[in-house]
Amino acid sequence: MLTRPTPREIESVVHRKIRAVLEERSGESRPIRGVDKLNATLGLSSLDLAVVVAELEIELGADPFAKLVPITSVRSVDDLVEAYRKALVLGAKSAEQDEGLDAAMRRAQRRRARTVRK
Amino acid sequence: MLMRGRTGIGASQLASHPRSGRIATTTAGAASRKVALVTGGSRGLGAELVSGFLERRCAVATLSRTKTEFIKQTLRRSRRGNDFHWAALDASDHDALQDFVAEVTARFGRIDVLVNNMGMAVEGILPTMRTRDIVDTVEVNLIAALVVSHACSRVMLRQGGGCIVNISSINAIRGQAGVAVYSATKAALDGLTRSLARELGPRNIRVNSVAPGYFESDMVKHMAADWKRRILRRTPLGRLARIEDVANAVQFLASDQASFITGQTIVVDGGISC
Repeated sequence: MLTRPTPREIESVVHRKIRAVLEERSGESRPIRGVDKLNATLGLSSLDLAVVVAELEIELGADPFAKLVPITSVRSVDDLVEAYRKALVLGAKSAEQDEGLDAAMRRAQRRRARTVRK
Repeated sequence: MLMRGRTGIGASQLASHPRSGRIATTTAGAASRKVALVTGGSRGLGAELVSGFLERRCAVATLSRTKTEFIKQTLRRSRRGNDFHWAALDASDHDALQDFVAEVTARFGRIDVLVNNMGMAVEGILPTMRTRDIVDTVEVNLIAALVVSHACSRVMLRQGGGCIVNISSINAIRGQAGVAVYSATKAALDGLTRSLARELGPRNIRVNSVAPGYFESDMVKHMAADWKRRILRRTPLGRLARIEDVANAVQFLASDQASFITGQTIVVDGGISC
């Protein structure tokens, strides 16, 4: 996803990924609601949630749980959606400040240069 | 196995990166072969593992602090980077480690095998060791392995399977004066092996350790002759391990032949610890 997704798109992607994991496990498709508890209502295990997070990292290009949000604070589907909204909004602000990927590449190159000199 | 100094690591380019929001692209034709990531593959056991995976027609990525002659030769032999990728970086640079995993995934499309081989040892008893050396050893031997495993496990979760092999040591399972910090980090890796095997097993990701004893290496070259004789006397198989003895155990664990083995530590020491 090259452009910044809207809040509605984030919600849609998160719901889709959760549904996919549930379908894969039980073979059944079920509607997802924001208030659904990931574990208590939907029966997602921590490993299932890890799969969802790994998929979302690629799909949305963000990982809120690396630094921003503790995974233990996420209980419901809405909590998960909110974590990604937060990460993407802050990530976008940060990207605007440092010109995103180009700046990251420059940082990596500088880091390598420093390493080689050591 | 003890090494003086580090076997090391690096990121070359941030081609396609999850944090950037860009979707990874795969090198043409790479999707059908196994992809192995070996940390610290510039010399010793790491280099042996890199060669072994290449011989098995895997795509191989490795990282080290320095570009050794082995790395230069392997890069020359690589078919335009289609089967081998190397980068130089420091183990304490966690972002760079994560970037490297993303880069390998972008380049080769997947990661089937991770071997956490990178390691260092500073010999000396704990009371007189410099704090910096303690921290560096934990950083390289343990934290870096955790950071790389964290990133690789996500790739493996997405692709629905994989295999992690941690290079431990017999010093993780029995005491040895002068290597307390090294032993602690290697025992921690064995703990990681068992718990991660339980965490990731349901997703078809296997995690095992190989714990080498003494093997022919630069370290053994400097060993006093009488000490070496003592080791040989106590080893039922009557010799030091060859580097390929250890590499073969790793290759076995990484292969489909070990498809029902997880959470285990295989000791490769000629029987010295039995």
